[in-house]
Amino acid sequence: MSESGVLAVYKYLDEVTGVMGKIKGRADFAGFEVFSPTSYHEIEHAGDFGSSPVKWFTLVGGLTGTFAGFLLPLACDYDWPLVVGGKTAGLDSITAYVIIAFELTILFGAIATIAGMLIMGRIPNPKATIYDVRTTDDHFAIFVPGIDESSEQANLLKMGGACEIRTVGANG
Amino acid sequence: MTEKWTKTASDVNDSILANLSNPHPMFYVAWAMSGLCVLLGIGCWVYQTTVGMGTAGMNSPVYWGVYITNFVFWVGIGHAGTLISAILFLFRAKWRNTVARAAEAMTIFAVITAGLFPLIHVGRLWLAPYWMAPLPNTNNLWVNFRSPLIWDIFAISTYLTVSLLFWYMGMVPDLASIRDRVKGFKRLVYGLLSFGWRGTAKQWHHYEAGYGFLAALATPLVLSVHSVVSWDFAMSLQPGWHTTIFPPYFVAGAILSGCSMVFTLLVPIRKMFRFEEFITVEHLDSCLKLTLLTSSIVAYAYGVEFFIAWYSGNEQEWALFKSRAIGPYCMYFWTMVFCNCVFPLLWWSKRIRRNIPISMVIAILVNVGMWFERYNIVLSSLVEDFVPGSWGHYEPSWIEMGITVGSFGWFFFWFFIFCKFFPIVSMSEIKLIMPKPLSRAEQK
Repeated sequence: MSESGVLAVYKYLDEVTGVMGKIKGRADFAGFEVFSPTSYHEIEHAGDFGSSPVKWFTLVGGLTGTFAGFLLPLACDYDWPLVVGGKTAGLDSITAYVIIAFELTILFGAIATIAGMLIMGRIPNPKATIYDVRTTDDHFAIFVPGIDESSEQANLLKMGGACEIRTVGANG
Repeated sequence: MTEKWTKTASDVNDSILANLSNPHPMFYVAWAMSGLCVLLGIGCWVYQTTVGMGTAGMNSPVYWGVYITNFVFWVGIGHAGTLISAILFLFRAKWRNTVARAAEAMTIFAVITAGLFPLIHVGRLWLAPYWMAPLPNTNNLWVNFRSPLIWDIFAISTYLTVSLLFWYMGMVPDLASIRDRVKGFKRLVYGLLSFGWRGTAKQWHHYEAGYGFLAALATPLVLSVHSVVSWDFAMSLQPGWHTTIFPPYFVAGAILSGCSMVFTLLVPIRKMFRFEEFITVEHLDSCLKLTLLTSSIVAYAYGVEFFIAWYSGNEQEWALFKSRAIGPYCMYFWTMVFCNCVFPLLWWSKRIRRNIPISMVIAILVNVGMWFERYNIVLSSLVEDFVPGSWGHYEPSWIEMGITVGSFGWFFFWFFIFCKFFPIVSMSEIKLIMPKPLSRAEQK
């Protein structure tokens, strides 16, 4: 995040999505970032990000939980078969272990989902650069690295309705 | 529901974060009172631990008393949070956006409070981990995985963990908003708590996907947890407990008590922190409709329980149900019926739903009724089982009552701490249900 570039600040959602539509896929806007105070679906559609890989974390976590949920009681049974009320241990009691497996599926699935959200979102990030504090309040912003305020790209950002254009760098 | 917002998205952060600096003086009074209740509870617990379990009112044949009642009650309270966050999220119920954060916090603190009671109940809590969790031990014996008590450990610890993760991840963008408004040491603390969240479109994209999956995972979890709690009773052979209706009946009861507690908490909170324009009467009205629905389900379950006790031809079962209604403990039964099934009927009237003081009284009565429901279930089946010679009597001791009061203090104490240092209303989510910030050209 240490690269300098131009930050264009917008007040309105339709302005920022309009600009996103124009700059998406262009080589001279490579690496641009969009900042938003909340998760507007309009921005998600304009960004055309495709399906998030977080789902694979959830799936793998959930299946691991199912496996662990059956393995834990069965391994304990193998180590010391505990016969209670005439009910034999091991596979004979597997219906009772479905509950353990169900709970661990949810637990591992949820923990893996959180891990996916963190890894894919590149957080925790102690060195995160906050370019403009208004983007966590009520403004939107687009940051384009490696350009300056007098460039043609900056002009396009301005024409899209930016209320402010400025150069930002390593120190925000 | 068509919202008439008097505030805009730009007002959200300023108004909601005002609680960080400037709550109503009543807030501190309430906080101090809950702290005193905690001290009372700790005092009673220390007395019980040092003198012995004889100081609690439990004795043969009633070995589950107020502590297990409190355990089930608090787990039930903890249900509404994840229900509102997860299930209503999947149903896209917009009113949840304003109340979900407070409800989730309520869940966390209620489940933590519930978790204390098995430890208080066993007396020598330092030995508890050995029978509650599959830990290696010198005798090489493992816990009985076929016991519903062990299922409960897995269900409740999973529920607490998942609810905590769901709650915290939902709060990360809001913590970043606080970070960007404060200075010095506070900025450092909120910076760490917000994980360096920047609010980029890609972060939001993965966040939304993950949040949806968490909601999908939490939905069956909500339904499973109180089902598992109900099996603590239903898997036994006691009259009044050994019944297949228990899981759905417990889940409906949990949602009823949880929603009424959400209402009970939201009414003073929106007043203390001046959130009337965010948590509107319409949102409270929706919460009460959900409470009314679950009250009807609970009333139906009470009826079916009675009908099946008679229709099954099981003499012990029918004798127990008659005893519940007209026996020595009938006061608890009728308190439960009136508070959970009769008084909520007033909410069929829109005028009463929108009358906050009257609805607050009804909601508190529902909380009382739901506590007595659990007390009634635990107590009545234990005092009179199959063998008349073993019948007994139970009254809670002052130690048990002191610890119960302490548990309410404990719950509110942590909830108030949350209210003072964290955003009680989800700022990022409330912006989604407000009019979108569009330019004039687009608005036309």
